[in-house]
Amino acid sequence: MIKRLFLLAPLVAAAPALAHHSYAMFDMNKTVVLNAQVTKFKWQNPHAFIEADAAVPGGASEHWAVEMTSPNNLAQEGWRRTSLRPGDKVKIYVHPLRTGARGGSYVGVEWPGGTHLGQTRS
Amino acid sequence: MRFVLLAGLAALGVAAPAAGQLGAATQAPPPEGVAAGQGAANPKGHYAALDALPDWGGVWFVIFQGRVPGAVPEAQPKLKGEYLARYEKWRAATAANNGVAARNRSNCSPPGLPRIMRLAQYPYEFIFAPGRVTIHQEAWMQTRTIWTDGRKHEEDPDPSFMGDSVGRWEGSTLVADTVGVSDALEIDTGIPHSAQFHLVERIHLDPADPNVLVDEMRMEDPLALAEPFEVTVKYRRDRYGKLLEFQCSENDRNPVDEHGDTGFN
Repeated sequence: MIKRLFLLAPLVAAAPALAHHSYAMFDMNKTVVLNAQVTKFKWQNPHAFIEADAAVPGGASEHWAVEMTSPNNLAQEGWRRTSLRPGDKVKIYVHPLRTGARGGSYVGVEWPGGTHLGQTRS
Repeated sequence: MRFVLLAGLAALGVAAPAAGQLGAATQAPPPEGVAAGQGAANPKGHYAALDALPDWGGVWFVIFQGRVPGAVPEAQPKLKGEYLARYEKWRAATAANNGVAARNRSNCSPPGLPRIMRLAQYPYEFIFAPGRVTIHQEAWMQTRTIWTDGRKHEEDPDPSFMGDSVGRWEGSTLVADTVGVSDALEIDTGIPHSAQFHLVERIHLDPADPNVLVDEMRMEDPLALAEPFEVTVKYRRDRYGKLLEFQCSENDRNPVDEHGDTGFN
């Protein structure tokens, strides 16, 4: 069953200093885990983005946009332009938008089988 | 079609620019302090001397020292007068808006100096050429030039994001002196400065680690700062890294609305 989990305990929530824009729009003390199917992976400055459909209880799905850091930073973490493709099913860990809109700041991604990049825990 | 357009302009009384103004090469004089035939514009014959400069090869990422629990608080500029009042007003407005600072321009607009040298996510590279050091910045694909050919500051530089930087090598330390930074820009988020903002940087490799570059920044502003503000930025080397393109308008998912709030698409 696909579900969305809310983790109350924060992962390390260090907001990058002086980034492309302020991180105040995100709740950096909260982490949401999306069981999601990727619809788009954009590998481009100023921020890479993941767009994905996250299933919610009841069978509906929500479209989320997840902002990542810069491709150059992500590459150091092991990311590549081809790391995600539309249709991939992954768990995406995000700090959600404070507004409650379906968006967030990337924390980590976990693939089936346990491979992960960034900070994840199940 | 073109004829019709031109005829239309003529009919409206719009004068086309004279041919001499469009596409003609300018003929700038040598900058003050540089003799004709010398300086950065005449590099030939001076490349071998560059080999005496320190090894700043590769690209450099800011070492993120973090605004994390337990971290030593970063030094803050001490403002005065109307600049302090502006900051206090900004701080109150930000606090009243859940900590979200209003922006008065696009997130695709770069921060200019000094903040452009302190970005955590995007690396830098330093290119030496006779009479100049060029800093390429991945962020917003900005280019900064520090003239090291002995020229003086322009007498009345146009206010700009990078200002007017002149420098000199003191051994293996590049000393850069910058004026002319636009007073529409900030020292840090919400912290304003005047048109008299003056930045001096001493940039050198860390004696303890040749893969760390240090930029000791000292800022003065007789109108905005109660005392000089000093901050040290450190960068770590990625020897074979490279800068990536930064075409902000192609991926601008953070538009700023009429209230100064940053959106998220």
